[in-house]
Amino acid sequence: MEALELLTNLLASTLRLATPLLLTAMACLLSYQVGLINIAVEGLMLSGCFIAVVAGAQIGYAWGGVLLACIVGAAMGALFALFVTTLRADLIVTGLAMNFFVLGTTAYLLQILFGVYGSYTPGDLKSLPIWRIPVLSEIPFLGKAFFQHPPLIYVSWLAIPLTAILLYRTRAGLHIRAVGVNEEAARTAGISVTRIRYLALTLGGLLCGLGGAHLAVGELALFRENMTGGRGFIGLAAVYFAAGRPFLAALACLLFGFFEALQFRLQTTVSIPYQFFQMLPYLMVVIMMVLISVRENLRRGRGGI
Amino acid sequence: MNQRKGLVLILLVLVAMFSWSVGSITLAQSDMNVALIIAQGGLGDRSYNDLAFAGLTLAAQEFGVRVVPIESSDPVGEGEQLLRTAAEAGFDLVITLEFSHFDPIVVVANDYPDTLFAIVNVDFVSADNLVNIMFDEHTGSYLAGMLSAFVTTDASLEQTNDEAIIGAIGGVKSSGIDVFLYGYLQGACDVNPDTQLLLAYSNGFGDPATGRELTISMNEQGADVVFQVAGGTGEGIIDAAADGGFFAVGVDSDQDYLAPGSVLTSMLKRVDVAVYDTIARAVAGEAIGGTVLQYGLDIDGVGISEMAFTRHIIPREYIDQVHAAREAIIAGELHVIDTRTVDADTFALIDENPTCEGVAALREAVGME
Repeated sequence: MEALELLTNLLASTLRLATPLLLTAMACLLSYQVGLINIAVEGLMLSGCFIAVVAGAQIGYAWGGVLLACIVGAAMGALFALFVTTLRADLIVTGLAMNFFVLGTTAYLLQILFGVYGSYTPGDLKSLPIWRIPVLSEIPFLGKAFFQHPPLIYVSWLAIPLTAILLYRTRAGLHIRAVGVNEEAARTAGISVTRIRYLALTLGGLLCGLGGAHLAVGELALFRENMTGGRGFIGLAAVYFAAGRPFLAALACLLFGFFEALQFRLQTTVSIPYQFFQMLPYLMVVIMMVLISVRENLRRGRGGI
Repeated sequence: MNQRKGLVLILLVLVAMFSWSVGSITLAQSDMNVALIIAQGGLGDRSYNDLAFAGLTLAAQEFGVRVVPIESSDPVGEGEQLLRTAAEAGFDLVITLEFSHFDPIVVVANDYPDTLFAIVNVDFVSADNLVNIMFDEHTGSYLAGMLSAFVTTDASLEQTNDEAIIGAIGGVKSSGIDVFLYGYLQGACDVNPDTQLLLAYSNGFGDPATGRELTISMNEQGADVVFQVAGGTGEGIIDAAADGGFFAVGVDSDQDYLAPGSVLTSMLKRVDVAVYDTIARAVAGEAIGGTVLQYGLDIDGVGISEMAFTRHIIPREYIDQVHAAREAIIAGELHVIDTRTVDADTFALIDENPTCEGVAALREAVGME
């Protein structure tokens, strides 16, 4: 019974930790599929955190903050697209510049707008309420692990099949993949490469804004300078591990969340230097992904590695 | 001499211009000029730097010394330059809040023997005109640990269960963080030797989401009081305690207001007291150069908060016993081990076994009962 409870807590923790990763991974996947690396993911996400808290506090509801975080995220994504497609700026340089820009601007705005440094905790802002899914949340153990979470966690689950459907079952998705595979061929076939890239990056920006909003008001209700702490890049890495496949990228994020949740618990129960456990999530994701691709290569008869 | 005064004036004006919202405060009692170099984070952090500035302002009002805070966008990289400029401008006392200045400050102190320098949180640099300012974080943490151990088994409190399990989260593993954690553990074990401490590191000082999740995992394992020694990560720790209906313990400044009623107390590190006292000694002409000024419980250099939001729900006897322990530490009757001062083998006794048995082994090794 106790083991079951431990497992339940571990699963619930996994899902909470994986949510921002899942959302940003789907964002990075869209840009991967149009042949662009979304280096700006951290900045897009952090702007989502900032807007969610500031707008949420102004409006008085966290949901208002979430909505605006999506809008601003999408706008930032479109801005990124403007730089890298229309203005033909270097992708990496622009992405990094956006990250530093958001990092600096949010920290500066905290001082200008609220006179605080480092953190902003609006007293009257409440985090999003927990949604208990009717009936399902009553199931012993499973209910607590899967169906008693803040709303954006369920949204992150929906984002995975929706991304897959968009990519593989719609006309826009076909165009997105065509642009990613061969830009010139797509152009010759009459696809507007620029428009498709705007679409992918804007949608990606929206998802990043949503991921940032979850981090800031999904469970907490505060903004902290650089609070994304590299989560966007982990989402980005998951996409490359999965070679752009939505469900595999999601699996990588969940694995990372699982081992992060596990290492939190191991730190307090097993007396090995804690740095070892903190390495676990990164190590395990690499190992699992290598195993998966080895297995796939074997199945296709291309040898092990 | 006139030229030097002119230079000071120009610098005062320049600094005042660049550090908006901050001016220099003067009264005519002492003609000392004091510069305070602000650390990373800058003024407005509502914590370390602001607290130190409050001490500086108070000293200016009390003694009439001329004080100037010096801010830089890169206090770490520009360390030597900042110290040298301040000394060159003729300040009599230059206090730096930036820990990383421990290297350049020795060089600059040797170049300007007539200027008195002081550095906070450092006790290992020496020059005849250099003051080291240190805090007894272990004793303040000890008191917080006592209080935590009292409340964790108290059935009358709705925030706590009956298990003697408490938690502590450090930002990173370092001797400067461990001194808090193991001071806390010593206090908890003296109240209840069956206390179990869950110890973890968040691997960073600016990640509240990780702090929150770590705290939830500790609470699931039975911890109902969690001590945060993790800076901005700690805001997530306090948030988790407020959401989960259990206690967090704040650190450095009085964080009780962050979640009224959910922060049991805060372990205070009063850098304002230290800055004020250092200036007071310099004004009085005390020969403090070349010494280490240790700020402890006696002059409220460290301590626990007033517990403005929890005082009325915590049984009086606990608070009285914590106060009694404070008196005993000040009187020298009770010794809390500063884990920074023991050798590596002795430190390993508690570091590899952060339990009450580890505390007992540590005490035996340093020759205590």
